Amino acid sequence: MKQERGLSRRLRRERRRVALRSTLVQAVWNYDSLQGIGFGWAILPGLARIRPDPGERAERLLAHLGTFNANPYLAPIAMGVALRLEEEIARGAAGAERRLARLLHALRGSLGAIGDDLFWSACRPALGLAAVVAALATGSVWPAIVYVLVWNALAQGVRLAGVRAGFAAGAAVVRVLQDPFWAKAARMARAAGIFAAGAGLGMGAGLAVLGGGGLAGGAVFLAIVGWLWLAGTQIGARGPALSPALAFLAVAALLGAIFHLSQGALP
Amino acid sequence: MTGWQAASLVALGAVVFLDQWPAVQSMISRPIVVGPAVGSILGAPADGVLWGAAFETMLLAIQPVGAARYPDAALAGLLGTAAAIMGTESGIYPAVWAVAVAAGAGWAGEVLGRLQRRRNARTAAAVLSRVSAGSLGAPARGIAAALSRGAALGALQTAAGLGVVFAGTRLLAGSPWAGPLDAHGLRIAAAAMAGVAGARVLGLGRKRVVSLVLGAAAGLAMVLLGVSR
Repeated sequence: MKQERGLSRRLRRERRRVALRSTLVQAVWNYDSLQGIGFGWAILPGLARIRPDPGERAERLLAHLGTFNANPYLAPIAMGVALRLEEEIARGAAGAERRLARLLHALRGSLGAIGDDLFWSACRPALGLAAVVAALATGSVWPAIVYVLVWNALAQGVRLAGVRAGFAAGAAVVRVLQDPFWAKAARMARAAGIFAAGAGLGMGAGLAVLGGGGLAGGAVFLAIVGWLWLAGTQIGARGPALSPALAFLAVAALLGAIFHLSQGALP
Repeated sequence: MTGWQAASLVALGAVVFLDQWPAVQSMISRPIVVGPAVGSILGAPADGVLWGAAFETMLLAIQPVGAARYPDAALAGLLGTAAAIMGTESGIYPAVWAVAVAAGAGWAGEVLGRLQRRRNARTAAAVLSRVSAGSLGAPARGIAAALSRGAALGALQTAAGLGVVFAGTRLLAGSPWAGPLDAHGLRIAAAAMAGVAGARVLGLGRKRVVSLVLGAAAGLAMVLLGVSR
């Protein structure tokens, strides 16, 4: 009993170490093996337990340094799966090595798709917009600090939970990926982000109209919004940064012209 | 700008380069965070907050996904905010100059980021051959080498960019070509960008229009209640 408790404590520490190391999964990101080196290094604490012999460990490590790529926050799920199957390989389970290679290959696509949709397409824009609106409203550095704290509570928490879930599920990891939680979380983040975007529009209109510009200020604001909508603000869709930069330049030029015409009386 | 301020900005450039993709990705490299940091270093935190927010809306949709090519938001935010603050005269920002700096920095940073990734391929190959020879410490050494190289690259590109910003700001001082804009105009423009960029990036279906309208009402209420002036 005492031995089991000791083992579980050691396992918990090992998973924490793997999750912590997963923060550097992209450190040697390259066009050949992608995240491979970071992946292999992250699971080393687990391999050290499973393969006490350094020669055997180096051999198994080599198998994990090949091509791997996933969303960096969900990559720990694959790390947990890899360690679970490494245990099976060490026990001599038939076909475990082939199963691991196939699983990791399959996980690359699905962890990338799920993670990118949740973190990059939904949560980050939504949190960023909320921070922007709060920063514009208050002029304080606090929205930026809260943004970093909330993001890291979410992202690093998912990393730690990911190692655990991957290790617990092993080859049945598809159950973790099919959980409706991922889609629901992304949907909620998008709805919150749209609310923040609306707050930006409302605040901008209020500042333009009530900030001394009156109806003319409102008309200028509508013109800016219309121009931005037509110019497009989607970065990366048609070349890096150019489209939104040009849109912003147009807004700045428009406001600058008004500024000059009105001798300092902006709308 | 004093020597200490320049050195602090260069150090910040090294840290945010690493945070952007090689390490942690804790989002301290986002313009909304970098802007206030630059503002604090240059002694104008409020201006940094405003410009950080403006650049965040400009660079909202970047997806640092695998081999995707995307502008360097950290360098864009850092140098753009520095250009805006260093060129401010009597409360008037050189807005067009600052945005041009950010767009140029975003592109330059993207090119250098690709170079770093290419160089990493050699590091990865060296790690593989050492592990094949039985070295278990090779991945850690490879990671340390790649991170050190990244930090140096981040510092160097920030230092070079600051040189350009410094020269350009002096050249454009007082010029109408710098695109003068005051804080009020910047807030209106950034708020409009936030609304439009958010709707475009997150998608505006029928159900989300309700969220957008409710948000707009909340935003307007903030102005009416004096939360945002």
